[in-house]
Amino acid sequence: MSLKRLPLILIVVVGTWLLLPPSKPESTDSAPSSAAPEDVRYTIKVSPGRAYLPGTHPYGIGEPLRGLADVVAAFEKRFPDTRIDILTVPSVREYLVTQLSSGLAPDILNVNVEDVWTDVHKGWYVPLDSFLEKPNPFVVEAGDPQAPGVQQWWDMFRYQAISRGKAAPDGFSYCLTFDMVETGIYYNKSLFAQLGLEPPQDWEQFIAGMQRIQAHTRADGKPIVPLLINIAAFNDWTKDLFFDQVYRDLLPGIDLYQDLIREPYLDGYLDWDELAFLRQKGFFSRHDPRYRVVWERMLELKQFTNRNLMAEDLVREFVTQRAAMIWTVSPLSHRLQSDQNLGFDWDVFYVPPFTRETTQFAAGQQMCVIGGAATQLEVTNSAIADTDPSLPMADRIAQSERLQRVIALLQFLCMPEQYVQIVNEYPAYLPNIIGVEPLPVLKPFEKILARRYTTTKWVYSFGLRFSEIQRRMLELYLTGGAQLDEFLGWQEQNIDAATASMLRRKQPDTAHLERRWQELAPVRATMVGLPPLSAAAAQ
Amino acid sequence: MISPRLQSTLGCYGIVLPSLALLTLFVYLPVAWAFVGSVYEFEIGAEAQFVGFANYAEYIWQDPTALPSLLNMLALTLIAVAVRLSFPLVVARLIYALPTERWRYVYRVIFLAPVVVPGVAIQLIWSGMIFSDAGLLNQLLESIGLVHWSRGWLADPETALLAVAAVGFPFVGGFEVLIYYAGFSSIPDSVNEASAIDGCTGWQKFFRIDIPMVLSQLKLILILTIISGVQGFEHLFILTRGGPGFETTVPGLWMYFNAFSFQRMGYACAIGVLLFILVFGLTMLNLRYFKSSEQLQGVR
Repeated sequence: MSLKRLPLILIVVVGTWLLLPPSKPESTDSAPSSAAPEDVRYTIKVSPGRAYLPGTHPYGIGEPLRGLADVVAAFEKRFPDTRIDILTVPSVREYLVTQLSSGLAPDILNVNVEDVWTDVHKGWYVPLDSFLEKPNPFVVEAGDPQAPGVQQWWDMFRYQAISRGKAAPDGFSYCLTFDMVETGIYYNKSLFAQLGLEPPQDWEQFIAGMQRIQAHTRADGKPIVPLLINIAAFNDWTKDLFFDQVYRDLLPGIDLYQDLIREPYLDGYLDWDELAFLRQKGFFSRHDPRYRVVWERMLELKQFTNRNLMAEDLVREFVTQRAAMIWTVSPLSHRLQSDQNLGFDWDVFYVPPFTRETTQFAAGQQMCVIGGAATQLEVTNSAIADTDPSLPMADRIAQSERLQRVIALLQFLCMPEQYVQIVNEYPAYLPNIIGVEPLPVLKPFEKILARRYTTTKWVYSFGLRFSEIQRRMLELYLTGGAQLDEFLGWQEQNIDAATASMLRRKQPDTAHLERRWQELAPVRATMVGLPPLSAAAAQ
Repeated sequence: MISPRLQSTLGCYGIVLPSLALLTLFVYLPVAWAFVGSVYEFEIGAEAQFVGFANYAEYIWQDPTALPSLLNMLALTLIAVAVRLSFPLVVARLIYALPTERWRYVYRVIFLAPVVVPGVAIQLIWSGMIFSDAGLLNQLLESIGLVHWSRGWLADPETALLAVAAVGFPFVGGFEVLIYYAGFSSIPDSVNEASAIDGCTGWQKFFRIDIPMVLSQLKLILILTIISGVQGFEHLFILTRGGPGFETTVPGLWMYFNAFSFQRMGYACAIGVLLFILVFGLTMLNLRYFKSSEQLQGVR
């Protein structure tokens, strides 16, 4: 054989070798199962999100995480016929949709439940209510008759309003609110002291403080950005907070529907159908004076923020002291606490409330909670893959043995002695299980979470198209590319299109909303700052 | 008994067949599927509903992003055509003019090397290091006293589109230089010598001899630039996601959002079909009216 053919033969051999399947399943980050492969009856895939992924270093700090792997190993020891694969999947919707539609998604998935709501009618997710309303068997087994979870698994959760408030508009709960996150404004305490500033108590102090910071320059003569914030925060948190501040007073006259399950926990929450109905009555338009205030105050805030609202590395600006404050979520505490070379003291305060000086519509109450669930664990259709897909979901839930084991894993993770190993391995999120205290550095966020929950979550009310268009046009408005009326014109079209889409898809009965609207007319007659009737007629 | 000629023909078809089958399966069938899908309202995992040409009508007449995004696409494509037909052409001609093959080789390598940098990395460098608030451009402006000129380049509605178009400056690190260089290299020595004897040198030679001789390459780059200008949106997704507002949105990006974020697959298919028709029409016009160097010389 000629040597000239040697390269060709080598390519064929190497190519064939590369195409061979691996000799063992792809490695996972969990501890190896003690069970022999032939004894494994259930292989459950769990995507917990990056916060607890074993082997990773949050912010590149410290030892690799192992809490979840240890707990999973304990579960596998308890159930030798079960193997848990911990993996990470991209949280991008494009990926999840293909995985879920093909039945290949992990059994347990961490994704914002509001993104789940748009798909629940497709049978991609398993409602958890029937399990949450029963005892957690591991708590029962522990033998304490007073322990939360003996009556209902639900009772184990500390933040009931937020946890139950994650129920979908169809009334079912599709997620386990595993832990909590809240936003706060981290500030450079050293700089504040230098400028004689204190954490503001109201909006006017907040603005005045930022004006002083803006007038100040660093040693190198460069300006300091008072507040770092990105467009997602404007679109989501800021809108909900400001909306709550100026509409709170109106709730007795416009909160048309009291959901029997959710309302005891969500005090005066406006669901999408209520928002859509109110829109038809002239609210959320150019003619709605309160709605205008929401956006005007946002523009006022923008004067003190970073110019590029799409910037992704705002933390860098804060730790290098190019900015005085950053509005972000609690995991930053871990980054700041661990930095030995930070060079300044820091602390956290919450967005201060509007006053009557800010707007005549100010409710005079502290800013509400807009955060809440951080890790939201959903059970996917993969967990009921051992049942006939043509059956109704309730039957599949009742028949699936695999689902029982998946639920058992979730119940096991909620046991305080297991849970503490995961959630308190480092300071990122706050525990949502009674009996597990937050780490000291997260205490400021615990105080914030004790407040009343928001009036609504706008970006999750109508769907992703609505949120995307609102985000884009808001950015344009905040960067001077559109005037308020032009922006509100877009918003009106956006809400109308989203409302039409929701009505077409869900066909809700709005007659009861109209009846309630009429009943509450005397209440509204005593209120000021309502949109004029002509605005409603123009809809 | 199969004749040798038929055997040879069948053999050739046999070689082509696997590629053709894969091409059909992964390219032509999805394209056909997109045509069919465009007349349905559907999302993955849910029932589809026949809506006729409603998706097309909605995009053309009702979608407020349609006209702005088309204008953005037009502007970006025109700028891309202008820079790809000029900057790399000049660089290639300069390399071609170098006196020794050794130096031509060195410069070809230097100008081709940036191709190995992934496009995503380039976009992130421009958005994070050059156009960011504390980026190179603002630092430069501030250091020469032009503080009032500094801004969020990609976030400012007045500059976002131009900033996007400027990514990749000076537009000479790519295959275009090589393609033009290949064109210049293929100019017969007799043509160069004849022009020199006639006293045609410098810019005169560049415009009257060199450019007509590389028209085939210019035509190729023009077609490829138009196609990528109409279809491409990845860089916009990374840099601005089409914002602020819809200032840098193009139809392709809106198609992507509708398909994978909003789950309006039928609507996205309709946008895709319209883009296909647009690309097809522009390419046909280009082929019909833009002459290649061979056509100018009467070879074809």
